[in-house]
Amino acid sequence: MNGAGEKHMKIGFIGLGVMGEPMARHLRAAGHDLAVWARRPESAAALVAEGVPLCATPAELAARSEVVITIVTASADVEGLAFGPEGLAAGFAAGRIHVDMSTIAPATARSLAARYAERGIGWVDAPVSGGGQGARDATLAIMAGAEDETLARVRPLFEVLGKRIVHIGPPGAGQVAKACNQMIMVSTIQACAEAVSLASAHGVDVAAVRQALMGGSAGSKVLEVMGAKMVERDFTAGIEARLHHKDFAILMDEAAKLGAPLPVAAQVWQQLNALMGAGWGREDTSSLLRVLER
Amino acid sequence: MDVGFIGLGLMGRPMALNLIKAGHRVHAWSRRRESMQPLLDAGAGDCASAAEVARHASITISMVADAPDVEQVTLGADGVADGASPGHIHIDMSTIAPAAAQSIAARLAERGVVALDAPVSGGEPGAIAGTLTIMVGGELEACARVQPLFEAMGKSITRIGEAGAGQVAKACNQIITGVGVASVAEALNFAARSGVDGAKVREALLGGFAYSRILENHGQRMLERNFKPGFKAWMHQKDVRIVMDEAHRLGLALPTAAATMQLFNAMAGSGLGEDDSVALLKLIERMSGGAGE
Repeated sequence: MNGAGEKHMKIGFIGLGVMGEPMARHLRAAGHDLAVWARRPESAAALVAEGVPLCATPAELAARSEVVITIVTASADVEGLAFGPEGLAAGFAAGRIHVDMSTIAPATARSLAARYAERGIGWVDAPVSGGGQGARDATLAIMAGAEDETLARVRPLFEVLGKRIVHIGPPGAGQVAKACNQMIMVSTIQACAEAVSLASAHGVDVAAVRQALMGGSAGSKVLEVMGAKMVERDFTAGIEARLHHKDFAILMDEAAKLGAPLPVAAQVWQQLNALMGAGWGREDTSSLLRVLER
Repeated sequence: MDVGFIGLGLMGRPMALNLIKAGHRVHAWSRRRESMQPLLDAGAGDCASAAEVARHASITISMVADAPDVEQVTLGADGVADGASPGHIHIDMSTIAPAAAQSIAARLAERGVVALDAPVSGGEPGAIAGTLTIMVGGELEACARVQPLFEAMGKSITRIGEAGAGQVAKACNQIITGVGVASVAEALNFAARSGVDGAKVREALLGGFAYSRILENHGQRMLERNFKPGFKAWMHQKDVRIVMDEAHRLGLALPTAAATMQLFNAMAGSGLGEDDSVALLKLIERMSGGAGE
């Protein structure tokens, strides 16, 4: 980022969680001028101690930033940050950009993009895949929905955060790609859980099965990471299952609106409901194995 | 008694007509003006808004499509609450989410209106014949006061519990009927593709443990290939979606209902949404390599 021709930007960051904090640090390390706002100020304490300015409101953060990046939990959180009282929209000058890297409904992303466009403010939905590990290693996959020229302006920031950056289409398209990602990922976790359960029922060494399968057509990132957690029976998150559960509600709801049948995802959703009902929402989604064992 | 009626669609119109037939004075309003005429011809009072309906009758009934519509006609501008006097009872007979029914009841209570949720089962034939099954949630005393109105529209009337409880019962009803329609469609397609007469299979099964009203009524319509609504597939999709949203919120696994919901999604996506939900048979036929026409 310090190469010839690269410009350092004034960046605002909201959402200093497991994903957000390492992302914010990478941007700062790349030489950008970072400021933050936090709903819970204690979540910003470490960065503030290192000299990062803490703004009093999202509007104040927007007023000092060329680009504000948000990575929070739900559609309603992003809507509130953008257009709620003292929200980003109240502080942005025309030409500034809101980059939302949360996982939210495509319809919400489209609607926010349209409302910003009326004020000459840019929007990028750029959900990520890769988890906390990917955020720390700056190897996230980033799926962007934006107008070409808006994305071009923030692409250098994405290059600091991730390895694979794909422009999927106009605003909302990034969230569609993320929904597809979640559907495949969690369905695969379920398939791995069923395989581990089947191998266990046969009394076969599940670690050996996993190792063998990793070399063949059933090999996947999920089998590698979540499969290992299942074998070791280490159900600490990783990615908290409640977040996958939330994502499934979004994608199943959109599928109903579109009239798109998702028979396998629908079954996986129910297993996630059972996981939540068992009280494992803050543990890893590999807990789907435990749902089968109940 | 004087009773207000809001929403005169496929279900609401015959229900309101049955109230008139039973000797009640009905004051009506519908968002679509043209749906008013049959009621006015039968002697109903013509109102210009839901608020005006509430000014004419201390008991009002709504029968509309979904929760936002119920909110609009009760709590919105010119809604029931705007026209209601203290002690007013509003009965919502639409199918909406239990959580939405509870929230609407609480907000109506703040404005002095007692709310009952009283969704129905029995479809358009049941509405016309006055034989609906009515599942009621809300205060006991209010339920007792409106009992004569329920008796004009339905046969089996059960108070399930407090506000929202009627909608919970309706959600259970939609799980069983949705899955039932799907299983009857699958069975009849299985019979047909095995070269066996579906009518005979249905007749035989009606005498055994697979007997159900769905097999009897919906099964018959599938055999006749009568896909006219009745109860439109997109409405059934909406109802099952309510169920699935609640299950998500509560952390409940509903694997069979979830599979059925996807079939309704596929119906909506392939242009069968306006057909009766028995057109699920066509979808199953197409999924099995048949023409499904």
